[in-house]
Amino acid sequence: MRLLFILGEIGGGLRRNLSMVISVVLVTFVSLTFVGAAGMLQMQINQMKGYWYDKVQVAVFLCNDGSTAVGCASGSATKEQQDNLQAMLESPAIKPYINDFQFESQAEAYTHFKEQFSNSPIVDSVSEDQLPASFRINMKNPEKYEIISETFSSQPGVETVSDQRQVLERIFSWMNGASVAAIGVAAVMIFCAVLLITTTIRLSAFSRRRETGIMRLVGASKTVIQLPFILEGVIAAVVGALLASVTLWLMAHFWLNGDLSKQFLNTPFISSTQVLVIAPVLIALGAGLAGISSLLTLRRYLKV
Amino acid sequence: MIRFENVTKVYEQNARPALDSVSLEINRGEFTFLVGASGSGKSTFLRLILKEDKASAGSVYVAGQNVANISSWRVPKLRRGIGVVFQDFRLLPQKNVFANVAFAMQVIGKSRSIIRETVPEVLKTVGLEGKERRMPHELSGGEQQRVAIARAVVNRPGILLADEPTGNLDPITSMGIMGVLDKINQNGTTVVMATHDDDIVNEMRRRVVELKNGKVIRDEAKALYTSMIPVVGESRRLRDASGEELNRAQGAQL
Repeated sequence: MRLLFILGEIGGGLRRNLSMVISVVLVTFVSLTFVGAAGMLQMQINQMKGYWYDKVQVAVFLCNDGSTAVGCASGSATKEQQDNLQAMLESPAIKPYINDFQFESQAEAYTHFKEQFSNSPIVDSVSEDQLPASFRINMKNPEKYEIISETFSSQPGVETVSDQRQVLERIFSWMNGASVAAIGVAAVMIFCAVLLITTTIRLSAFSRRRETGIMRLVGASKTVIQLPFILEGVIAAVVGALLASVTLWLMAHFWLNGDLSKQFLNTPFISSTQVLVIAPVLIALGAGLAGISSLLTLRRYLKV
Repeated sequence: MIRFENVTKVYEQNARPALDSVSLEINRGEFTFLVGASGSGKSTFLRLILKEDKASAGSVYVAGQNVANISSWRVPKLRRGIGVVFQDFRLLPQKNVFANVAFAMQVIGKSRSIIRETVPEVLKTVGLEGKERRMPHELSGGEQQRVAIARAVVNRPGILLADEPTGNLDPITSMGIMGVLDKINQNGTTVVMATHDDDIVNEMRRRVVELKNGKVIRDEAKALYTSMIPVVGESRRLRDASGEELNRAQGAQL
């Protein structure tokens, strides 16, 4: 009976404050979408890290004719220098850190280059001897890049040591920046949402002061008087959170796994089911925020 | 049933207390009128019984319990034992008569079947049989007050507080309301009624407690609205006060 009564009260309250309730729904929807987007970016970063870190290599580029580096003073790298480097890679000082390595000759480099830029006119202006030969090294632990860099960059015949991971790091730091920005926007929106919920509950309490006054007089418990108001806020926020979850799922399903994955074939995107992990977090966050802010409002504006 | 021991209530520091060391006992089943001018402390007296306000000093006992010792989460329980009626009825305009009365039972969790059984009974007691489906605006003032009384007593409280229940009603309707309150009192409910209505008090001949400036200046059984014993010195005190004011005014001029 009491449950039915409370449900009835909630229904009435939601109807009476419909425009305010809708604004609460929308603001929580937008703010939680940003929270969820930040979460998705982080998931995407982790996903890409896991995928790429196994594949990235450290490349030791050898000198060619046009090299200007200090180690290349004697011109193009000789066969001796190349053998020397290979020996170093196989030496006990370095071997424990690497999984394996391959030598990529200038001819192989030219073939790969042509594959990569097959549609670009740049291919015609690059000749085989302009591209450097290199050792491609798969690290056991990509973080230990410094060891290779220190050991090889000063060797004769080495032009430069480059870590492909650095390129990825740049992408990741850009994505991290984006997720921080998303969190920033989300924080402002959540602040708005909390203020809006507070105002809504205040209005709702004011418009129903007659009922609550009578409830108080006839000895209704604090729970029975306050619960409808709190649940009103919570329901609105949860609806917002659900909308946010659906939006994020649609984004993952149709954008990430649709258009983007067709454009970037080599990039592993998070799946739409992974987004479902975020949904309960968003709902809990929305419900929690609404519950706490309405409770605090009622303490001030609804005497029991 | 209700006992005040040296109760003082001060709303604002430095202002005259709304109640000034009031000691009073109202027994179970009594019908008591609380009379006095506006601002004499009648409403404060009722508010203290309901624990809407806290006494600044002294103790208020309701049904043997010191209300100061009732924790906030048990205040609803105290209020379930007390029915309240106001001058302005305070009905819910969008609910019909039945729903208005049932509301008082719903919010404390009474079952639907008990509500369906009790509400018509109570409406019969207050003389509103057959008007269950009417909306408040379709009722006369007297009928609205009857609905309010029905709501106040539907949970069978031991005490009924009425704050000028006839203040908005004409004399004949008022007498009808008094009949209802009397009937409720006959059934064993203690009734405390604050009023300005001298006709009613004189007609009913019940206990009268008169408050003035927060003090009890008269407590008589089967009494009239105005005391039959002239209050000696009342007029002299007034004269003295005005003389003092005159002096002060003159002092200001000098």
